[in-house]
Parts: sequence; C-alpha cells; structure tokens
Amino acid sequence: MILTAEDLLIPISSLILITAFYMQGQEFIRPMIRGQFVQSILLAVVSVIMWYLTHDIDFIVLAVLIVVLRGFLITYFLEKGIRKDQVHLHEKHVSVAFPFLISLVFVLTAVLIVYSVVFSSIRIESITGNQGILVFPLALFFQGLFLIASRRTTYAQIMGYIEEENAIVLFAVFLLPIPLLIEASVFLDVLALVVISSVVVLEKFTHERVEELKG
Amino acid sequence: MNSVFLLLIITLIFPVVSYLGYLSRIPRLDSAISLANVALALYLYEFIPYVGTFYVDFTTWVFILMVTSIHLLSQVYARSYFQNHKIGIGENLFYLLMGLFTTSMLFSLEINNLGLMWVGIEATTISSALLLMAEKSETSAEATWRYIVIVSAGVTFAFISIILIYYSLGTLQISSILGMKIVPSLTLNVAVAIALIGFGTKVGVFPVHTWLPDAHSEAPSPISAMFSGVLLPTALYVLYRIYQIDPLRDIFVWAGVISVIAASLFLGYQTRYKRMFAYSTMENMNLALIGLAVGGPYGLIGALLLLLSHSFGKAGAFYSSGSILRYTGNKKIEGVHGLWKSMPKTSGALLMSSFAVTGTPPFGTFFGEFLIFYALFSIHYYAQLVILLFFIMAAFISVNYNVTKMVFSGEGEKNGNEDSVMSGIAVLSSVIPLLIGIIYVVVTTVAL
Amino acid sequence: MTPGKRMVVNIDNITLVETLLQYFFIVGLSPLFAGIFSKVKSMVESKKGPSILQPYYDLAKLLKKETLRPKGSGIVFIYAPYVIFGIYSLISLIIPALIPDPIYFTASTDFLGGAIMLLLAAFIKIAAAFGSNSNYSALGVSRMLSFNFLAEGTLITVFFAVSLITSTNNPYTTNHFLAANPLQNISVVHIFSTLAFFMLFLYETGKVPVESEGLMEFGMIDAATNYEYSGKLLAISKWNGYIKQFLLGSILLNVFLVPWWLNPTFPWVFLNIPVMFAKWLLLIGIVLVVETTLAKLRLFRVLDYLATAFAFSILFLIFTEVML
Repeated sequence: MILTAEDLLIPISSLILITAFYMQGQEFIRPMIRGQFVQSILLAVVSVIMWYLTHDIDFIVLAVLIVVLRGFLITYFLEKGIRKDQVHLHEKHVSVAFPFLISLVFVLTAVLIVYSVVFSSIRIESITGNQGILVFPLALFFQGLFLIASRRTTYAQIMGYIEEENAIVLFAVFLLPIPLLIEASVFLDVLALVVISSVVVLEKFTHERVEELKG
Repeated sequence: MNSVFLLLIITLIFPVVSYLGYLSRIPRLDSAISLANVALALYLYEFIPYVGTFYVDFTTWVFILMVTSIHLLSQVYARSYFQNHKIGIGENLFYLLMGLFTTSMLFSLEINNLGLMWVGIEATTISSALLLMAEKSETSAEATWRYIVIVSAGVTFAFISIILIYYSLGTLQISSILGMKIVPSLTLNVAVAIALIGFGTKVGVFPVHTWLPDAHSEAPSPISAMFSGVLLPTALYVLYRIYQIDPLRDIFVWAGVISVIAASLFLGYQTRYKRMFAYSTMENMNLALIGLAVGGPYGLIGALLLLLSHSFGKAGAFYSSGSILRYTGNKKIEGVHGLWKSMPKTSGALLMSSFAVTGTPPFGTFFGEFLIFYALFSIHYYAQLVILLFFIMAAFISVNYNVTKMVFSGEGEKNGNEDSVMSGIAVLSSVIPLLIGIIYVVVTTVAL
Repeated sequence: MTPGKRMVVNIDNITLVETLLQYFFIVGLSPLFAGIFSKVKSMVESKKGPSILQPYYDLAKLLKKETLRPKGSGIVFIYAPYVIFGIYSLISLIIPALIPDPIYFTASTDFLGGAIMLLLAAFIKIAAAFGSNSNYSALGVSRMLSFNFLAEGTLITVFFAVSLITSTNNPYTTNHFLAANPLQNISVVHIFSTLAFFMLFLYETGKVPVESEGLMEFGMIDAATNYEYSGKLLAISKWNGYIKQFLLGSILLNVFLVPWWLNPTFPWVFLNIPVMFAKWLLLIGIVLVVETTLAKLRLFRVLDYLATAFAFSILFLIFTEVML
C-alpha cells in the first residue's frame, strides 16, 4: 500500500474541519484568527494537491491567491484591529459543549440530507474519484453559518463568513475546475468585506439585541 | 463593436460619470447626467432584445429603466436631504458609492452570464454597505453589520447554486441557457432551490429577510428608496433568470405566499413608519416573485407592472418619510401627527405613495396585483389565491391606517419652510405609479 | 485474517492456560500498573513517591479492616462491588488484552457487548452510590451522570467507528486486521477515534485534564461515589477501579494505538507479558506528558472536554460511513 496524493486529501480536509471546530470552541479572538490562518493555508495545500493530480495551473494560482489574500492579508487586517494592549481580547460566555453538539447535529443532518438526496442520484465527476469528499466543504459551509449565528462579536462573525468562502472554494476545487475569474471574485469580495468590516470593527465589538431593530 | 453594446456600456458608466459631474461643482450637472441616462435607458427600447456580451430583453429593459430613474430621483433628493447635515462617511465617498451601487445593479441586470451576475450582486452589497451607515449612528452601524453578514452569507450560499448550474449545463451564459432544451434533473432542482434561499436573502423571502427591515429603517431615506425600489428587484431579476432554467413553480409560489403572510403579520404591529414600509416592500417583492414564478403573459406583465410602479411608489414613500423624519426627528408612528397642516405637500405624497404600494386602484400596482391574481387563478392555484387576498387586505389596512393616522390625527402647526425639492421629488415619484396605472388602462383599452 | 471471518475457539488445555494467564494478568497486575504510574509521576515531579507495590499494600490493609455500612443503605450498596468485579472479570476475558487469539468466554459477546457491560458496571456503581444514603455520594452521582451521557455516547461511537473500519465488531478480528494492515492506522477515522478514545480514557480513569479522582470537594466525581465504602468493600471497589483502568488502557493500546507485536502461538504467548509491559509504559509516558503539560479543567469545563471527544468520534464515524 503506497500513500498517494489522493489519500492526503481526506486527512487535510478533515484538518480543515477541525480548525472550524477549533474556532467554534475558542473564546479568545487572537487564537481564532490564527485558526482561520491555518485553515486558509490548509486550503492552499489542498489546491496544490489538486494541481499535482490534474496539472491544471489554475490551482497553483489559486493556492498562491489563497496564501497571499486569506493567509496573510486578511489575518493582517484582522490582527491590526486588535490593539497591543488587548492581547486577551475575548468574547464572554462562549460555551463549548452545547455549540459542539448543536453544530454536530446541524452538520450531520445537513450533510446527510444533502449527501443522500443530492449526490447519490447525480454523478459527480469529482477529480478525486471519491465523491464522499464533498461532504467536507458542505460541512464546513454549515459550520461557518453556525459560527456566524452563534457568536456575537464582529470578529467571530467575519471569520464565520471567511470560513464560508473557504468552503465554497473547497467545493469548487473538488467539483470542477471553474473559471479562475469567478474564484478571483470570491477573493475580491472577501477582501472588500474585510476592509469594510474593519471600519465596523473599530466602532462596534459585539452585537447584541437592539430595541429599535426589533420586530 | 456595435451601437447597442456601446449604449449599454454608456448606461453602465453614466452613474459613475454623474459622480464626476458632482465633483465638477457645476450645479445640477450630476442630475443632468443621470437624467440623460434615464433617457438613454428609454431609448434602449428600440434595440431590444439584444444578445451579446449583454443580454437585454423586455424584462431586463423594465428593470434598467427602474434603476436609472430611481438613481436620478435619489440623487436629486439626497442633495437636499443632506443639505444641512453632515454625511458621516464624507460627501464625495457617498456620491461615488451611490454611482458604483447603481452601476453594479445595472451590471447584474445587463450581463449575459450568471456567474458575473452573482459578482454584480456581491458588488451591490459591497458598495451599498457604507451607504447604509452614512448617518453613522449606533443603530445604523448595527443594521449595516446585519446587512453585510446576512446578505453575504446568503449570496455566498447562492454561489453553490451557480456552481451546480455550471456543473450540469456546462455554461453560464444566459442566452445559451435559455436557448437550450433543458431536461430538469435533481441537480438543477437543487440548484434552483438553493438560489431561492441564497438570492432570496436579498429579495426578502421569509425566513431569510431579517436584515431587510433593519437596513431599510436605518439607512438614510434616499438609500432606503434605492434599496426598496431597485436593489431588491435586481436580486429578484437574477433569481428569475435562474428560475427560468428549471421552473420549480410550486416551491416558488409557496415561498412567496408564506413570505407575504409573514410580511403582513409583521406589518400589523410596527411602531416605526420606515420599518413599516420595509415590510410592505417585502410583501410586494414576494407578490412579484409569485407573478414571475407563475409566468405566462399575465404573470410576467403583472409582476413587471407591479415592480415598476412599486419602485416609484415605495421611493416616494421613503422620500416623504425622510422629509418627515428631518422635520419631526421622530421615527415612531405615534410621534408624528397632523402632517396635513405642517407639511401639506409631503403628506400628500406620503398618502399617495402609501396607496400606491398597497395596490389601491387605479395605481399601477393594483393592475399588477390584479394580473398576478388572474394568472394564479388561471392555473388553478385557488388556495394560494385566497390566502394572498386575505393577507394583502390585512397589509392594506395596517399600512393605510397608520399613514392616515400620521397625516390626519392630532393638531399640527403650520410650517413655512417645507423643502420644495424634497417634497417635489416625493410628489413626483408618488404620482408616477398613478400615471403608470392610467397609461396601462389606456393602452389596453386601445389595444382591445 | 480477513475482516468478517469468524474466529474459532479451540477447546483444549492450551487455551485454558491462555485464558487463565490473561485473567490473572489483568486482575492480578492491574494494581501494579497504577502503582507504576504514581511512582513515575512522582519521579517526574521530583518526588520520591510510593513504592510501585503501594496499591497492593493499600488493598491488603483495607481487606483486613472492619467494614462499616451507613445507616439506611440498601442491598445494592453492599453487593455492587462484587457484581462489578464480576462484570469486569468477564470483560477481561473478551478483549485482546494479552492473548491476540480468542480464548474461553471470548465468544460470549463482542465489542459492543463489552461496551455495554462497561456501561452496566457504571450504572450499578451509580445505583450503589445512591443506595449509600449519603449527600456526598449523591453529589458525585449527579456530576457523574451529567458527564456520563457524553462519555458513554463516545464509548459506543468509538467502537462503532472501529467496527466500520474492519466491518466486524469482534475485538480480536479488529486487532488482527489492524496489525496486518499498518497503513489502515492512518485512516482519518482511526486517528480521530483513537484521539476520542484517549480523551475518554483520561476521563474514565480520572487523569489530569479532568481529575475526577481528586479528593477536593469541588472536583470530585469518582471519589464521591466511593465515599461511604470502607474495609473490604472499599478494597474491592478500588480494585475495580484498577481493573477498569487496565481494561480501557488495553483496548486503547491493542485496538487503537499499537496493535502490533502480540504473539498468538502457545509458548510464545508468555512473551506478550513483557510486550504488554512495554506498551503500558508507553501509555503511561503519554498520559504523564498530558498530565504535566495541561492544567486541570474546571468542573463545568469537563462537559466541553467530553463534548469535544464526542464530536470527534461521531463526526468521523459519519464520514467513514460516507466515504467507505
């Protein structure tokens, strides 16, 4: 039995999912940002492996884009928002057990539904030849949505959004070589979003219920 | 490069050009350029349908007309609205973003590629986010944040739909997709259903509408008018193009019906008038969604008629609300009374536009709704029809009751300095739905 | 050995010897490993530490002491330690703790059955603690129950995950399969179920991130359930604890972590004793590293800890199902 590049895809994809869980359970902002960094780098690694499998140069470009934009630029922007004296900036009352169980149920039902309903009856010519791997991007996507829904801080919600975008890229990478143009747009809007939201971050740290915005 | 292509490019860049006109400090140059753009959009009618890099048919043309006109109105209105108030994000940036916002909407409407349409919709989010918090209050920052997070999450979700469409059809070009003989498959069904949730976030489909009332009530009024009048229809247009690939009529109609129910229930207990109009937008958008989903000549024409008159009517409602907010400083319905005395023109516009957006005859919206109901009736969707009739009645009563209360109840004092531009714009945009209704009646009678 | 194939038990004297060897190895030597652990731990902490035979001294001392039973305690309270001892004795015959081939009683149940028996023992322990009529016991029990719903779920899912890998839930077959296919060990499911099981092992044996064995009132869980026992009953209760730790550790070592190097043929099975010692030293080393590097979790954080283990196990259980 020889380890092939395909075999690496599943462990790395699961590591990506683990980083998502790590971010979900983490209450300190800095480690969360680092979790996001690791996740993006892992995504770039997946892209490189896909290049190795398909020899499609688009994947290398994608990997470089991911490393530069999500790995460094976004991490930089997010960290810049945290002042030097706020090293221990964190969100209060982050529970772990409950969200984990919820997101587990959430991920599982979503994945099982989507998987059994959608992908069992269509033939997905995933490059890896294993369509089961599509579970990872889908799970990651729902995890990102849940991160946004379960947290109150701006940072956590931004990272939930980036996680979602990562999931989309992962999905597209596994499914088919989509024109690079569209992928570039994914990055563009992440970038724009972070720039915009850094404006918002400066003004508002948490998001609670507002009386005026009820009903 | 042919002339139509050039024309379309010009309509695309004119909103930004009008910003340059603003920079030049020549009075009203920006409005003139925007007006020229409306004229160009009207002139475009000669060339439809056009297929190429852009895809413009009659439906698209109606949307383009809406976007350019509401941009013009909002631009003129914003100049007076912010005359004695500082814009938190800076005036130059505000007008630049307004131009870019319009351009991105036009881009999403015109482009002949679903992927780029999606890019356009994302671009509208990016360009409108800062516009929304132009007044820089605590609540508007919160509303902006909700808008960014919820809408971009939804639109990102819609990207899965685009991927699946590309996966099953091999192309994203709208003209070639519409020309194809498509066999509905489960993948396509899923793609279209995902689009309903994803783009539906921006259209205001229940239950992913939650950003909508916040954004509309906290944005400055010219921006609320653009959101309500054209941004939501633009998203609806994209959703419609995807719907055409694989019509899941039942799902779409029921989604629309449930959203109308939700909107009219929410309308029942609103205490802030801009928020009330936001829910009314949600109701109208979902009616139009039903019309587009039912399709056929009646459904489509009804939806277009409804959207066109609603965009002007709702813009009028937000313009007059903006003037009222500037005058009274109160966002609550109870805090406003006796407007007929203090602001006669604005209160007239408010009354007219609230009749327009609730579908009172003979406004255009009434005929739109009527055609949609007729289309529903002709395909035997009786249950949906009865539900809709009931809840639209409820919405009609709650909106008009509140508005008449604001206008006629209590004593108002005379107010000499009602801004003539602001009230003029409000009156103009609330009269247009009436004109549309009358023109429609005349045209159909002549045709018969 | 291919997965799914039935294992045959030979009825002969050699198997009898193997059975007895495994039984006495587990029941007899389990306190020794606890002793080694505390000795090594003390050494790491630059203390002298008790003799590695200390658990035996304790047991001997307790066995000689008078047994007191609290007023109002029921019959369950008195007989529970014996019953649990019996259950653990049976489990020690059905897992590949020393002999990698089936022995007598192995056929009585499978992996899942073993897990259920572990849960049964936990249940009886809880019932007994309730029967003791003591507030401290009730406190420990309520804590234990509020954590165990996750721990026991993890235990079952981990075993499911292993069954999925090898398509059997016979622990011996699993051991053979894993030993024969070393690469299978890096399958994602295996890695994460190992991790989950290791976390569970730390919880069940009361090691540091959880430290349920401490006598501090705020953190005590296990100790509270033994609170009212004395004399002979306490000795057996403690012994049960050692056996449980040994059983879980053996499963962790032989099924998840290092399934290799066990000799199935007769005279060589005695070699398995030093092999198992070596494996246990490895496990003790790993646990020590964890114990010395991590801080104790606050009581309400234990739930988070277990939720993580549970999430890992069940997530990757589903992924195997999807992927295989």
